[in-house]
Amino acid sequence: MIEIHNLTKRFEDIRAVDEVSVEIREKTVFGLIGTNGAGKSTVLRMIAGVLKPDEGTVAVDNMPVYDNVEAKKRLFFIADEPYFFVNSNARAMEKYYSGIYEAFDREEFYRYLEKFNLDRNRKVSTFSKGMKKQLALLLGICAHTKYILCDETFDGLDPVMRQGIKSIFAKEMEERGLTPVIASHNLRELEDICDHVGLLHKGGVLLSRDLEDMKCNIQKVQCVFGAVEDERKALSGLEVLKKEQRGSLCTITARSTREEVEARFATVDTIFYEVLPLSLEEIFISETEVAGYDIKKLILG
Amino acid sequence: MTSRNSFWASCRENHKRRIWVWIVAVLSQLLMYGGMTMIYLSRIRGFHADGSFKTPGEFEQAMCQAAKDALGFSDNLYGCIFILAAIIGMQGFSYLFEQRKVDMYHSVPVSKNRRFAVVYVNGLMIYLTAHLSGMVLGMILSAAQGAVNGEVLAEAGIAFVWNFFFFLVCYHLMILVVMLTGNRFVTISLFLAAAFYEIALNSMFERLRSVFFETYSVHFLQSRPKFSALYDYTSNIWQLKNMPDAAAAARLSMPLVGKWIGISAVLLAFGWFAYRKRPSETAGKAVAHRFLEPVFKVAAAIPAAFTTGALVYDTSYQNEALLVASMLAGGLIVCAVMEVIYDFDIRSLFHHLFSSGVALAGILAIFCVHKWDLFGYDSYIPAQNKVESIAISAGGYYDSYWDENWQYVEQGRFEADHMFLTDVSPVLTLVEAAGQADPEEMEDKRYVEILYRLHSGRQKSRRILVDYDDPDTEETLNRIFRTDAYQNGVFQVMQDQNLLENMNRIYYSNGPAQSVIPVEEADRLKAAWLKDMEQFDFTLVRHNRPCGVICFDYKNYNRRQLLVYNSFENTIAALKELEAYYPMELDAADVESVTVTCYHNELAEQENPVDYGIEARAVAETEAWDYTDYSVSETFYEEEQIAQILPHLYCNRVDAPWSRYKDLDDNYSVEVVFKRDTTYPYERDSYYFAYSFYAEQVPAFVAEATAYTGEE
Repeated sequence: MIEIHNLTKRFEDIRAVDEVSVEIREKTVFGLIGTNGAGKSTVLRMIAGVLKPDEGTVAVDNMPVYDNVEAKKRLFFIADEPYFFVNSNARAMEKYYSGIYEAFDREEFYRYLEKFNLDRNRKVSTFSKGMKKQLALLLGICAHTKYILCDETFDGLDPVMRQGIKSIFAKEMEERGLTPVIASHNLRELEDICDHVGLLHKGGVLLSRDLEDMKCNIQKVQCVFGAVEDERKALSGLEVLKKEQRGSLCTITARSTREEVEARFATVDTIFYEVLPLSLEEIFISETEVAGYDIKKLILG
Repeated sequence: MTSRNSFWASCRENHKRRIWVWIVAVLSQLLMYGGMTMIYLSRIRGFHADGSFKTPGEFEQAMCQAAKDALGFSDNLYGCIFILAAIIGMQGFSYLFEQRKVDMYHSVPVSKNRRFAVVYVNGLMIYLTAHLSGMVLGMILSAAQGAVNGEVLAEAGIAFVWNFFFFLVCYHLMILVVMLTGNRFVTISLFLAAAFYEIALNSMFERLRSVFFETYSVHFLQSRPKFSALYDYTSNIWQLKNMPDAAAAARLSMPLVGKWIGISAVLLAFGWFAYRKRPSETAGKAVAHRFLEPVFKVAAAIPAAFTTGALVYDTSYQNEALLVASMLAGGLIVCAVMEVIYDFDIRSLFHHLFSSGVALAGILAIFCVHKWDLFGYDSYIPAQNKVESIAISAGGYYDSYWDENWQYVEQGRFEADHMFLTDVSPVLTLVEAAGQADPEEMEDKRYVEILYRLHSGRQKSRRILVDYDDPDTEETLNRIFRTDAYQNGVFQVMQDQNLLENMNRIYYSNGPAQSVIPVEEADRLKAAWLKDMEQFDFTLVRHNRPCGVICFDYKNYNRRQLLVYNSFENTIAALKELEAYYPMELDAADVESVTVTCYHNELAEQENPVDYGIEARAVAETEAWDYTDYSVSETFYEEEQIAQILPHLYCNRVDAPWSRYKDLDDNYSVEVVFKRDTTYPYERDSYYFAYSFYAEQVPAFVAEATAYTGEE
């Protein structure tokens, strides 16, 4: 587990990360979401041991990470612009990383390279931006570290490649308990991959929840009530987060389980009702609006 | 089996990132050593082909010397080593300048210590491999031409150590600089500034003292950079190149190498500390440690300000108002430029005005300390009980000195090493009197240099102005001149143990005549001269001019000169016995003609009473100098006239140290031409010999013949 406690980092007069506390559990995909400048990369760099926190602690499996080789052996950090040696190719990068990460799986790496159609002998400098990110991800996956930290790594990957990487993540999580930590400014990029999401804003954590919990506890219902009395009866006892009315069609977002909502609506006279699946975006909108923020301005811009 | 993550595996991996540095380093050294060896040896072969060497042994010796010049101490190498150290040091740690690289290198499981050690050791390996490759190539080329012997190998070995530790200082300096900075431009700038900083600072203070302190002297002690390897290297390499053997070179070089080891260790320790404390996020910024920004700013502004000031001061003919203005302007500009560099933003010109103010205050403070001598530099006179001994150099006497290796030694250095006046009271009396005297009222003012050796171990040097015509000064100087300590420190011949070693010839000269004396007579002549020197004092040399000089010529163009005065009966008697003595006064029968030129200085000064100083030069630069030539020459051929002239002449070739300027008439010059068929042993290479009239001894007929009439 990665435990972040009261993490603070200042760059001269700017407080880039402000008392962030988050726990990243093993075998989950942790999404770190925030606008540009929210402090995502800084948090990742501190987790990776690149930056030294001004205050607070980062512990990887109970080990402080800054300048700690043992802790770093469990991490692989992919920066938003991964660095590859000048004039190097995939083979040269493999040699470098396999010399550093003892568990680096060369065979698997070359297998993945073929699968992703990346030429092992081609200079990395001639790769497209997406190909470089793929290569960085493959190197990170094959390093066989427990945690892989990806800073905006999925941005710019085409859907096929994203799906490919996702399936590798799923496989590695299942086989050896890989824990990816993915930072992105784009909520939609993480929607189908994360188990747990932390929302950073202005250096602080706005919320940190399991996606499943959020999905299970917030329901969106579209319905047409027979009478006003039915509507009052259906909604009484429910924590309504949002209610929209278009003619007789009512869209309600409420904090509750699906079963509870269905049970409550079954007892009232409705002309039509349907419990709809919520997108991550909708969940965030609901959650952050409750907290007084306009998520569209924060994430979706 | 080597572990995948072993130190050497890391080194090997790191080398892959440094291939271009390897190539540059090895190629540069191969070219330097290979090229130098081939050129030097080829030159000797060329001389040989021209028949410059009489024997095969001479040729062989010259070839070995050439190989030694190429493979041993050389002034062609330090620039190359300096640049190599900078490249190797910067390239190794340049990943710290880019955030992308820092992200990668600092996130992988390699400890900071390991990474530093790997990069550091690899840098050393690159240099050592390159340097040794070059030396081996040079050695092979020399050996192939039979130009290697033990001496060549020994000197090459010592030079290798010397060059290696010079590299180490530069390398460690660059590592420290990389750790303090965040991008290449600033790194290179700071490295150059740091390498030359002490030299610049030293030169700045030297200049300030020389401009503002009347008693400032560099005769005995010259302030030298103490921690600059670059200065040590460049100021000693010529001497090292010319050492007689490797052992002598080792004696001179190894203490400096020891000092460099200490300096490089300190630099490395600071570099390591700065590396450990360097925040990763400073990649790409100008300075890695924010608190150093004002320090660098002030440190850069001060010498830059004084350099600007000196430039303006010199070109404005010592205008102090302009000096101050230009210093402040220079300081301010540098402060502004530094702020722009820090932020890489032209709008930052006037940021952090407090540190700019500190810099300007520092500049003004340094100026005021010197301008108004706030620490009493000029009024310094040590208490007598604090002075252990003194060396003094009374202006007027110049000689050549050399050390046990037959290498030239500066007069002040020799005097400082050999003159220990323990009776310091006459010197202090002289200094106190000089402090109270008005230089404007001095008849014949001369500088006297003084070195105080204090009981505390410190040494201080000062320069005073004294009036040689003052009777009290004469008496005080007599007390000094009569001491053995003074004479031993001035006349090196007094200390020569083996007079004949490396002696080429002896001759006595009264100016035109040169009578050669067998070298075996050296000891006898010296003994006679030493006997006569018992009468040596200031009064003797002040009121008498030497009638001739005995010269001992040694190898390396070294020469001892024994001044002979008319009162030196023992010396003159010995010279006469050897039939080598010729009086100053010439015989008219030997002289073909005497040409006298009168310059009529009185007329020239009347027409142009301007002081021939700064003002005159200033005028000269702006307008053509309108000069009227009042000189009148007359040549006398009549033996009778010549006989009347010759007793009043003194040959200009014979130096008369400490003597009165006014003893000779500077309004006249005389050229004496000898008869071609005379037996007088004058130097046949010269057509004429320059003489001067003794003051007020110009015969009336000569004055009449050279009077100015206004006619061409």
